[in-house]
Amino acid sequence: MKILVFVKRVAAAQEEELKIIKDGEDIDLSKLPFKMNDWDSYAIEEAIRIVEKAGGQVAAISIGDRESDDVLRRSIAMGAKEGFLLNRDKPIIDPVLRAKLAFNFIKGENVNFDVIFTGVQAEDDQFGVFGGYLAALLGLPYASMVVRIEDLGEGYMVVRRELEGGLIERIKVSTPCILSIQTGINEPRYVSIMGIRKASQVERKVYEASLYMEGLFSGIELLKWSYPPKKEGAKLLPGDMDAACKELLNILREKGVYQ
Amino acid sequence: MGPLEIKRVFSCIQCGKCTGSCPESGRTPLNVRILVRRSQLGHGIDNSHLWYCTSCGTCTLRCPRDVKPSELIFSIRGLLVESGEISLSVQKALENTFLQKNPWGRARTKRAEWVSKAGLDVKHIKEVSEKRLLLSCCVHAYDPRCSVIPVNISRILGRCGVEFGILGEEEACCGNEIRRLGERGLFEELQEENTSNFRKYGIREIIALSPHCMNAISKEYGSVDFKVYHYTEVLWMMIKEGQLRIEKEYKKRVIYHDPCFLGKQNGIFEEPRNILKSISGLELIEFSRSRENSLCCEGGGGRMFYEVGTNYERNAKIRVNEAFERKAEVIAVSCPFCLMTLEEQAVEKGIEVKDISEILMEVI
Repeated sequence: MKILVFVKRVAAAQEEELKIIKDGEDIDLSKLPFKMNDWDSYAIEEAIRIVEKAGGQVAAISIGDRESDDVLRRSIAMGAKEGFLLNRDKPIIDPVLRAKLAFNFIKGENVNFDVIFTGVQAEDDQFGVFGGYLAALLGLPYASMVVRIEDLGEGYMVVRRELEGGLIERIKVSTPCILSIQTGINEPRYVSIMGIRKASQVERKVYEASLYMEGLFSGIELLKWSYPPKKEGAKLLPGDMDAACKELLNILREKGVYQ
Repeated sequence: MGPLEIKRVFSCIQCGKCTGSCPESGRTPLNVRILVRRSQLGHGIDNSHLWYCTSCGTCTLRCPRDVKPSELIFSIRGLLVESGEISLSVQKALENTFLQKNPWGRARTKRAEWVSKAGLDVKHIKEVSEKRLLLSCCVHAYDPRCSVIPVNISRILGRCGVEFGILGEEEACCGNEIRRLGERGLFEELQEENTSNFRKYGIREIIALSPHCMNAISKEYGSVDFKVYHYTEVLWMMIKEGQLRIEKEYKKRVIYHDPCFLGKQNGIFEEPRNILKSISGLELIEFSRSRENSLCCEGGGGRMFYEVGTNYERNAKIRVNEAFERKAEVIAVSCPFCLMTLEEQAVEKGIEVKDISEILMEVI
């Protein structure tokens, strides 16, 4: 089985208070470390686990600038056989454009696959569109939010999808297909620095993204970055402990929390 | 394992001094002598036992044949790291250190927040002519309990007119625990990054706040052209030379706990004691196991990131119980890991655990 996995390099921004710069035109990521999108780590791990059991190979593809080679090396260190970079310095903010680029690349280079995995979404833009749109372009079945792959049969896969309300949907998807992988489906393996160094010796092929973007345009344009409006802050109760406690009880009574 | 390590393992005469000295053997499944024997015979070992090691180094220090059992443990851990057979908490600590240069994964951009939070005016090392670097540990940088230590030391140095600077956001984990967790490659990356920063800013002297950082930089970074001090060495020098004057009394019975990486591994026993002895009113007492024989607090060797079985009495509890029996009011420490492990146990007994800098701040 050949599995293609799309992996994205994103800024590790969870712990940060991001600064808007250039009068709202950009955000300052200059001091942030970058890493593989969390969802994609699970997707690549799942793909590798499948080929370790059932045979086949995994290829990692990344759309981004030269620095995105990091996530390809990491994918190879985890167990992917090869890595492709669709190189483009300017970020593509429109996920539909990214899907069209991926479609043109797959068709143009005759990239063979049985299944394509993507993460459910990317940590940076959180669109969650890429996998579904690529499936539509390729005319393939698509299942999102996959939390378990139960069975790999001849021409089909049985997978579980995570739904709202604590429900799990078990479905049969005919292959080839595209699945978007949810976090928690597995525990991605540790990749040591030595492992990454060894992976650097495996060639990663670089393709210029512009060659596959002829006639394509971005349907989304960034107008301005802004911070969400500030919410009302916490109320500090003044006075000594007794007075503060009495005031607190009054507030709790008012709100109906304390009778 | 390299040929030198293999040769060392085969030098073992099974005298058992390692196991007899180990703060974990006997109470936990870790038995260092058996581990070395099984390695000699090529027999399998239970990998889970390896993670009990606190890297206190006593086995290596006392071995009469220079087997270096603790280094053997780090090497076997290294094989587990390479094959990915490590616990999730160790994996996260390593991944966090790779990404944010600290095991907790806190933002590197907030590494020096302790400065602004305390309202201090501490300069970056590039703005300082003396090129004396105050180096905090990741614990000092991010743990609210321990961040008081760099604040105290900065205030003391500032008050005495000692010029120093920090690396701020450029400061990275020293890698001491990372090497002991077996991630040799990551240790090398941290060593390279730190060494290149030390060179870039022409560092001539480092005041390390943690004995673990002091140990890694002075002993494991290869040859360095600057002197690395633990802060207790610097403060004692300042007291001795009259630069730092103690003006108040501290009428408490204080017991001093020797951190493994300061005491037995680096031979610094007197300076912390001298500081405490120079404080009038302070009654300094000793643990039954002190100096070279000090009982490890179990905070080192990656144990801060890995929870072993809980069905045995923790060393920190043994330590606190003894302090209680000896009627100590304060346990004085000079290592952030010791501060955290001992304080967790001491709260119940009503004993205070204080870093030496905290005691000093009350008397100067």
